[in-house]
Amino acid sequence: MAVATPPTPTAGERVDRLELMWQSRPGVLGWLTTTDHKKIGLLYFWATLVFFAAGGVEALLIRTQLSQPNEKLVSPNTYDQLFTMHGITMIFFFIIPMSTGAFGNYLIPLMIGARDMAFPRMNALSFWLFAASGIFIYTSLFLGIAPNAGWFNYVPLANRQFDTGRNIDFYSLGIIFNSISSTLTAGQFIVTIFKSRAPGMSLNRMPLFCFAYLAASLGLLFALPVLSADTILLFLDRNVGTHFFDVAHGGSALLWQHLFWFFGHPEVYILIVPAMGIATSIIPAFTQRKMVAFPLVAIAELLVVFIGFGVWAHHMFATGMPTISLVFFAAATAMVVIPSTIQVFAWCWSMVTGTARFRTPLLFIAGFIFMFVTGGLTGIMFLAIPFDQQVTDTYFVIAHFHYIIFGAAVFPLFGGMYYWFPKVTGKLYYELPGQISFWILFVGTNLLFFPMHIVGLLGMPRRVYTYSDGLGWTAYNLAETIGGYVTLVGILLLLGNLAASYFRGAPAGPDPWHGPTLEWATSSPPPDYDFPVIPKVTSAYPNWDPADRQEDRRKLAEGVLVLDEGHEQVATSPVDGLFAEIVEMPHESPWPIILALTVSLVFTMLVLQKFGVAAVMAVLCVLALLGWHSKEPQES
Amino acid sequence: MTLRRLAILQWVGLMLGAWVWGAQHALGWGITEATCNSGHAAAGIDHDLWQAILAATAGALVLGGGAAAIAVLRATRETSYESAPPLGRMRFGAIAALPANVIFLMIILLDGLASIFNLACRQA
Amino acid sequence: MTDYVAGGRRLDEVPRTTEAAEALAVSRALRARLGPPAACWGMLILIASEGMLFAAFIATYYYLRFTSPEWPQDGLPAPKVLVPLILVGCLIATSVPMQLASRAARGGRLVATRLFLLAALVVQSGYFAYEVHDFQDQLRKFDIGRNAYSSIYYTLLGADHAHVALGILFNLWLLGKLARGLTTYRANATQAIAWYWHAVNLITLAVIGTLLSANV
Repeated sequence: MAVATPPTPTAGERVDRLELMWQSRPGVLGWLTTTDHKKIGLLYFWATLVFFAAGGVEALLIRTQLSQPNEKLVSPNTYDQLFTMHGITMIFFFIIPMSTGAFGNYLIPLMIGARDMAFPRMNALSFWLFAASGIFIYTSLFLGIAPNAGWFNYVPLANRQFDTGRNIDFYSLGIIFNSISSTLTAGQFIVTIFKSRAPGMSLNRMPLFCFAYLAASLGLLFALPVLSADTILLFLDRNVGTHFFDVAHGGSALLWQHLFWFFGHPEVYILIVPAMGIATSIIPAFTQRKMVAFPLVAIAELLVVFIGFGVWAHHMFATGMPTISLVFFAAATAMVVIPSTIQVFAWCWSMVTGTARFRTPLLFIAGFIFMFVTGGLTGIMFLAIPFDQQVTDTYFVIAHFHYIIFGAAVFPLFGGMYYWFPKVTGKLYYELPGQISFWILFVGTNLLFFPMHIVGLLGMPRRVYTYSDGLGWTAYNLAETIGGYVTLVGILLLLGNLAASYFRGAPAGPDPWHGPTLEWATSSPPPDYDFPVIPKVTSAYPNWDPADRQEDRRKLAEGVLVLDEGHEQVATSPVDGLFAEIVEMPHESPWPIILALTVSLVFTMLVLQKFGVAAVMAVLCVLALLGWHSKEPQES
Repeated sequence: MTLRRLAILQWVGLMLGAWVWGAQHALGWGITEATCNSGHAAAGIDHDLWQAILAATAGALVLGGGAAAIAVLRATRETSYESAPPLGRMRFGAIAALPANVIFLMIILLDGLASIFNLACRQA
Repeated sequence: MTDYVAGGRRLDEVPRTTEAAEALAVSRALRARLGPPAACWGMLILIASEGMLFAAFIATYYYLRFTSPEWPQDGLPAPKVLVPLILVGCLIATSVPMQLASRAARGGRLVATRLFLLAALVVQSGYFAYEVHDFQDQLRKFDIGRNAYSSIYYTLLGADHAHVALGILFNLWLLGKLARGLTTYRANATQAIAWYWHAVNLITLAVIGTLLSANV
């Protein structure tokens, strides 16, 4: 039951006070200085769509170049930049920021009954750093010197001897720049999830979406620094004359791979776990039943990421390491499947035993399960070291990870866009075009990625800019390219449907799906302060507890936990949600965007190799931080 | 059983397996690198013996973690994992701990057995 | 309706901590608060992230070592043991005044807080000054670009010194804030910065231990 209409006149006054406390500046200045998690979520949404388009253009150029043998659409040099930027863009500038920055930011405070994240200004900083890092790395593309050694950038190819231009320096610095943003987001989610839940929301009453995002955030926190370390060492090798990766002077080329994949494998679980969280939110809503085996699904989400930290060398089975070293990673790879399987069974069982309504969101989840299982099966095949050594660096690998990434990470994002569209916009989307967009996408992605299994087994290596006729690869490549364009049609229909629905859709009301979690207990779109009272929580499906929602209306009428004396938020204990304190939160601020600008200057000077000037810019960063911390909560 | 003791058992059940496996995995791989790499070929490590000790110790600790989780489950028989904290949350933690400990035990056994039964330092 | 119970506590027992702007109010508010503030959790996040960075560098050290027939490479000298260990001991000892400062701040004892912080800062600054001098001295003996050993040696050591420098800047900022009185914000900051120093001290021990292990 939404607390959209105040139940009594004094309640109305309290709501008015809240509106005043939490209102934001109008216009562009409001967006540039916002710390509201919903606005930041929307900024991320639009920015990541732009990068998705860029990555998609790169993909279609690749596919068109490969549609025919001996095609000359792009040069080999351009092709190298295209596939490298495609990988970097889709992973670092689309999926991670869309799932964490857009969906996570918008939904986590709403699902835990909070008014905002734990560190609102840092949240804004995450976004501006992300946007700046994207501009930084794309500048290299427009200058024709984009990274060109693949998204995992192996040495010695990526070292100074073989890649002499600035391409790889854009890679190293761009990756570090972006990882600052993601680390801040991950830290934000962890602290918010542990400290800002509504009183009474103990961990066994926290939505599974939050468990998934907690897992992804812990993964990001512990994986990203290792990537930063790797790229720092590469930057030093290329610019300062160190010899970490230089075998001639006692270094090791394999060191790059170990450090990279120690990050890189958890990264791919980080890509799919938020999507699993989205699936675990959509299924209860569209089956109107609680998730089967709730505690097992919760731990499975955490286990996937944790065990995923122990499998990295399965990307290195063809490097000549001894069998006894590699078996540790084969063993862990075998077992990491189990938590994912637990989740798949739980989802399917919930759909079979509930009353499933296959509206567009649930269709995307069904498609996701199909593609995740397919991609997972090929994943299991890779743990067999002899098989892996045959298919390493062929299109079989590309097929596997695109089934997982597009099927398991992106399909739920599309489903989630439809599911939460009414909440964010207050309008209903058009159902029939939604379903059609799903089917076109499903056919398109399978046509695009399935033949890659076959052509990989037939020996087609990855990252080749063309191939000869008569190898038996031609028909498959053409089919894949057609599939790529069909996928494009599906994406355009999806986005067009959402755009049209935004302008002409029917009003949605607070709760069109009878959803289980708290975001459906407030108006659509939510007010700036999210909830007029801090909600009462006694289960993991609070919107299905009418007594508690009735209690909230009573609390609003009597002024209990309305927290309208300032810009106020609760803090609770991390495990059992005991009420710890009431804190005054920061409101709008220019410091996040200012700090992001000074950080951009540092990275720009570094890539230009003006190290002295970079140090001066770093002093500017310190000044910005001092400004940020000059005003204390009791002064606002 | 006191609440405090129950809480300790719940966290041990939930966390011990993870850290024990993490250590066995890192150390076990480290032993193979130390055995096979040029820098320490003369270190005099009996590879198979160390792997066996490591896996056995780790396995025993994980079993202990599982036992702790089972103890909490038995003590919270009357509660549901959906109930109010602390008991509901403890039962939730204990239920979650069970598949975790099983999986960690399996990886430890696979790790240990595979490293012992394969020929030391032969290239894959 | 202040006797309303939410999250296991009555509403009138729950402090509005950020309002407290002088010593007595701060100590009262923080006594009624459950557990550390979000600022400390944020600091834990920074510690985890930087800790992993050092773990990666330390792992790099050992990986390069295990893949080298000779360590240090090219007959370079292993680091001296006694002086570095004594210095690290002095640095780690500053965890004591930092922790005492943290408790004094939460207890509303402003003068004690300032004194403990100052004591820690003096030792930390002395440590850092000596280490900078020593770093430059060593660079004259063997350059960073000599081989993989020198590369990881100076990178690991330099990263550690940078984090000590950052901690010194934190302490200077904190002393500046505390010069104008005690608020909950400043007490939270003292607690968080104490945690930072405990972490840096542990990391320094790990780094120096790693570098000195070349003697083994």
